[in-house]
Amino acid sequence: MSYLECNGLKRIFPGKFTLDLSFEMGEDELLCIIGPSGSGKSTLLSLLCGVDSPDFGKIILNGRDITQEPIQKRRIGMVFQDFSLFPTMDVSQNICYGMRNIAKDERENRTAELLDLVGLSGFEKRSVSNLSGGEAQRIALARAIAAQPQILLLDEPLSALDAPLRKRLRTVIRQIHEQTRIPMIYVTHDREEAFAISDRVMIINKGKVEAIGRPQDVYNNPPNLFSARFTGEGSCIPMSLLTEEDSEKLAFIRPEDIKINKTNPSENYIILKDATVVSAEYITSGFFVRLSYKGSELCCYASSQPESETVDLAVKRDRVLCF
Amino acid sequence: MPSSDNRYYLKNAVPALFIMAAVFLLPVGTVFLKAFSVPGEIGRTFTDRYTWRILLFTVLESSVSALISVVIAIPFALFFSRYTFFGRRALLTVSDAAFAMPAILAVLGFVIYYGNNGVLNRLLSANFQILYSFKAIILAHVYLNFPVAFSLITSALLSSSDQGEQASRLLGASEIRTFFRITLPRMWGTVISAFTLIFLFCFPSFLIVMSLGGNPRFFTMEAEIYKRTYTDVNPSSAASLSIFSFLIMTLILVLSGYGRSQDKVQRRKVHLKKTRGREKALAFVLCLLILLFMAPPMLSIVHRSFFNRDGVFTLKAWTDIARRSSSGAGTSIRAVVNSLAVAFASSAAAVSLASSIAMDSAKRKSTFIALLTSLPMAVGSVSLGLGFSFLSAKLPIRSTAMSYVLVFLAHLVVVMPFAIRTILPGARKIPQRLSLAAKTMGGCDREIYRKIEYPLLRPYRKRALAFSFALSLGEVNATLTLGEGRVTTIPVLIYKMINQYNYQGASALAVILMAVAVTVFAIGESKGDESVLS
Repeated sequence: MSYLECNGLKRIFPGKFTLDLSFEMGEDELLCIIGPSGSGKSTLLSLLCGVDSPDFGKIILNGRDITQEPIQKRRIGMVFQDFSLFPTMDVSQNICYGMRNIAKDERENRTAELLDLVGLSGFEKRSVSNLSGGEAQRIALARAIAAQPQILLLDEPLSALDAPLRKRLRTVIRQIHEQTRIPMIYVTHDREEAFAISDRVMIINKGKVEAIGRPQDVYNNPPNLFSARFTGEGSCIPMSLLTEEDSEKLAFIRPEDIKINKTNPSENYIILKDATVVSAEYITSGFFVRLSYKGSELCCYASSQPESETVDLAVKRDRVLCF
Repeated sequence: MPSSDNRYYLKNAVPALFIMAAVFLLPVGTVFLKAFSVPGEIGRTFTDRYTWRILLFTVLESSVSALISVVIAIPFALFFSRYTFFGRRALLTVSDAAFAMPAILAVLGFVIYYGNNGVLNRLLSANFQILYSFKAIILAHVYLNFPVAFSLITSALLSSSDQGEQASRLLGASEIRTFFRITLPRMWGTVISAFTLIFLFCFPSFLIVMSLGGNPRFFTMEAEIYKRTYTDVNPSSAASLSIFSFLIMTLILVLSGYGRSQDKVQRRKVHLKKTRGREKALAFVLCLLILLFMAPPMLSIVHRSFFNRDGVFTLKAWTDIARRSSSGAGTSIRAVVNSLAVAFASSAAAVSLASSIAMDSAKRKSTFIALLTSLPMAVGSVSLGLGFSFLSAKLPIRSTAMSYVLVFLAHLVVVMPFAIRTILPGARKIPQRLSLAAKTMGGCDREIYRKIEYPLLRPYRKRALAFSFALSLGEVNATLTLGEGRVTTIPVLIYKMINQYNYQGASALAVILMAVAVTVFAIGESKGDESVLS
């Protein structure tokens, strides 16, 4: 049985936007929701946490219909992009805010445990206005967990931080998830972050679910062209360029599935002769090469910069996605 | 946010709105009743050429005062928002304090400094005839409002990005071209706001007109209302004129409200440059000019409180105050106690009511409530005092205690809009997400308001309390109009002493008033309880 079920969830903003989706997630799961700006990620979070109400559909959490329940009763924790720590309270007061009907001693012990969990032991009496971005987000996480939520929503929690810190903290979040086993819904626009942290990813676009599944499945076998493009780099060319058949379909190929000037390619490869090199960008692990082939643009990785203007390309036959 | 989220705030604000409406509408309603009690009075007043002449003069003196204040303030503001130098912060703080400077201090300072036998004429052995003229009124208004314009324009320039200017200079534009094409359009909204605000301050001018104009030709609406009430003993005519003035002020207030709402400021810190060479000299000259304009009248008051008319040092005025003796116009000690008590009560009540109104207004993003609560600004304090005195005449109880209550209520109406305007920006700065975060952790509206939002408003409430206290402390018009001599506050006593030419006694009291106002302002602006809202 699913832990969280959203059945036929619909929120209509007349003349502007309609969110219309259904999905499920299991207990102990970390589900990442990704999608472009305006795809409905924030609307979905608003419906889940109770800031907004759906026009149709139901939200079932742990077997309980919470669709019409007020925010306070839902026991859904939330971590915000801007941390939203209470500035007039210190760290421990922030963390204790959500602990209700708990004796003082126990509150203090739990605060210490949570600070330990987020790697900030001894921060109890610190003012929240003196914390760095990374520290503030860890405190926000500890505060949300302290309220013992049934599920935790993380709304682009690392967007306000710099890239190295984002990488470090996403590992921390994953570790916390594994230790606490609190189900988490993690919203981000960073696909790399989503793939790195999640058990499953859900791609939404224009208020609808485009794909849902394990990161590697969604990346390798996207169900549609939007998901293919949204989950990573790739070349989208007419199928007729690969098969010589008259097809109106499109082929989508990941850059790692195209090799430049491959020697003795087997039958598993489709050979595209005389592609023109348009550009080669250095990307530390090698080069990202853009090419033009019969009017279509392709991209691939190369270990070294192509030496000639035209090259032959070998495309892995079984990795060509057809849409 | 669902609408139910704001119900608590509305429920919280309703009693405050009700109290405010009652203390405002009762006197105003009584003025209306009085005006309509004589058939045809309203019509006569509204069509009388004399009424329109007074309106014209009031508009003229307000416009000229506002224009001069703003025009003089612009170059100072431009320099102070671009360079950093020794004394800059101190002068800006003093300018902020001018918001709460009682007009009676300016009046007394002017009489002592610019008077025919004043300090200036004695120092220069000259005979400048400044007082009791149109220019004296304008000069006093500029004296009170130049710091307001200077402070407003400087802080607006400091909080808006100067990248446009940098880009313009990088593109080769001269300083003059940059000023007219980039800087001036950038500050235009603030300049208009400052002009409107000063216009609104000067429109109901009473004390300055009465004391420094010295001629019915220079009467403003408020002065004329006072004259019709107490000299002509024609309350219905005064009431009709009050209504006329109220309608005009409401119109100006509404128009200025629209102007303000369209003025959006780009938030980005301006990088201040250090002064060097000629800039340093210019900074010195500008600071000196401000000090030469602002300091002498106040220093003259302090000096005069220790010296008699012949320039002989004496502590008589001070010992008179200490001895609780009557100065012919009332007991000084009693006036000090009255002033402090009324200021404390009215400012505390105003801040407490304003907090819930501001919170509700911010939560519902309502500009209507803010505008509605500004309405008392449209009633001059003389008119307000008049309304309360009509009201007291209708009350069955007539006692000194009742006079105190009425003075307190009048002060409450006067300071309330300012308290709301001080707290409202703070309430608007509280991020909605804080309450959402608290709700996800089970917090209810009451708890969120009490534990999270109310503490966040603390610096704004403190500033509002100080500002309201200082305003109430300096309030003279309403108290003078309705007190009937029963409630004498410091400014009322100073006013009476000025009229009795007891300048030394007035100066001693003014020094006390100044000290209290400065202390209260310092507390309001003190660090250590700074806003944590960026």
